[in-house]
Amino acid sequence: MARPHIEPFVDRDVSFKKLTMPGFKPGVNYKMLSIDKDTGACTMTVQYDAGFKQPPGFCYSEHEFLLMEGSLTIGGKKWQKGLYSFVPAGVSLPAMSTDEGALLLVFYNFGPPSFVESDKDHQNADRTDFKMVDSYQGMDWQNSTLFPATAPGCLLKILHIDKRTFGMTFLYCMTPGFWQDNISYHDCAEEAYHIWGTSWMMQFGELPTGGYFWRPAYINHGCFASELGILAIGRTDGDLHNYFHHDPFSTPEENHERAASRLARMKPALYNWILTSEHNHLPHDFEYPNDTYKTEGWDTGIHMHDDGQVHHHSASGAHSHLGGNKKKKKK
Amino acid sequence: MTIGNTNIVGTLRPKLTKDELAWLKVELEDQRKRYDKIVQEQEALTPQREKWVKEFMERIQVRGVHVHFNIRRVVPKSEIRPRDGRPLQVIY
Repeated sequence: MARPHIEPFVDRDVSFKKLTMPGFKPGVNYKMLSIDKDTGACTMTVQYDAGFKQPPGFCYSEHEFLLMEGSLTIGGKKWQKGLYSFVPAGVSLPAMSTDEGALLLVFYNFGPPSFVESDKDHQNADRTDFKMVDSYQGMDWQNSTLFPATAPGCLLKILHIDKRTFGMTFLYCMTPGFWQDNISYHDCAEEAYHIWGTSWMMQFGELPTGGYFWRPAYINHGCFASELGILAIGRTDGDLHNYFHHDPFSTPEENHERAASRLARMKPALYNWILTSEHNHLPHDFEYPNDTYKTEGWDTGIHMHDDGQVHHHSASGAHSHLGGNKKKKKK
Repeated sequence: MTIGNTNIVGTLRPKLTKDELAWLKVELEDQRKRYDKIVQEQEALTPQREKWVKEFMERIQVRGVHVHFNIRRVVPKSEIRPRDGRPLQVIY
């Protein structure tokens, strides 16, 4: 995932551009919020002009969207704001139109926007996770079930969870007067868009309506507050664990190391197993035997090894680092 | 989706077309400008941020730091890690 740290960015400060990519009908306008330099995966606010019509068709990339203003008629059913849809790659959406126009937030998760006119799914599409829900009227707010959890007054509606990664998409709100006095970071990248309202973070200041961030893993954020409350949508690309602390000056490298030390403390069997030379390679999951992983860029940073030394790698690729303390197996 | 995972379920056409590459080039240049502007704006916020941090460090020694949901813990001064000249960088 190669997106830079974009935080904060307020889309109200920029104008819409016309989306002229092949396949798209006239009447699609967008503001780019963040984009992956390698894949073209991106997050955008999208505006359909009044009278916009689109035939049935699919996108090559998995994508998600939330209808924030206006209305959309999809497959003959009219949806109001609050419509959330998760659309797996290659799944054909029915014909879509809007009389009054529509404003959406769209996540293209693996590739750039694309549209292929078709009333059938792509031959390799898997429609299992496809969903369309009224997230405003059809779902209840819930307290966070994460541990540790955000402070009281930050409520969630879980829209989608990736069953392999636990990456998730969620609506969240902060009640008026919300505050949370700690600093957090995560193992995953996180992005969010303010549908309404202003919140404040100690690092970045105020994030108003139309405010957005894409924050890579291990970057400090918080403490938090909101005077009048907010409604927002967020998304992560992996399991969201709140690493809380109170050191405003810690670096992403230190945070990364702290997370790893917690893994060693809390899951010693797994940590030790990974460290052994026989197992320090690309992981294999018998449940998903065809998964493959990129390694470029993931072992080029400074990190600790079992001999207590810190050093830097310029080469990529999986390798083992059991140095002087390597325990030999008894024969 | 997964950091680093190249399972192509998420995209059925991982190779970008010529049109997409051209579009990406323009968008990445815009994003670079957006990033530079953010860095400048956040740099300008530094004096205010230093005040916010000072207030936060005082509050957690009186009202406490959130450790889970509504559970807070007052942080003794002995647990405050000295700054030792560390910068307050927020954009990476």
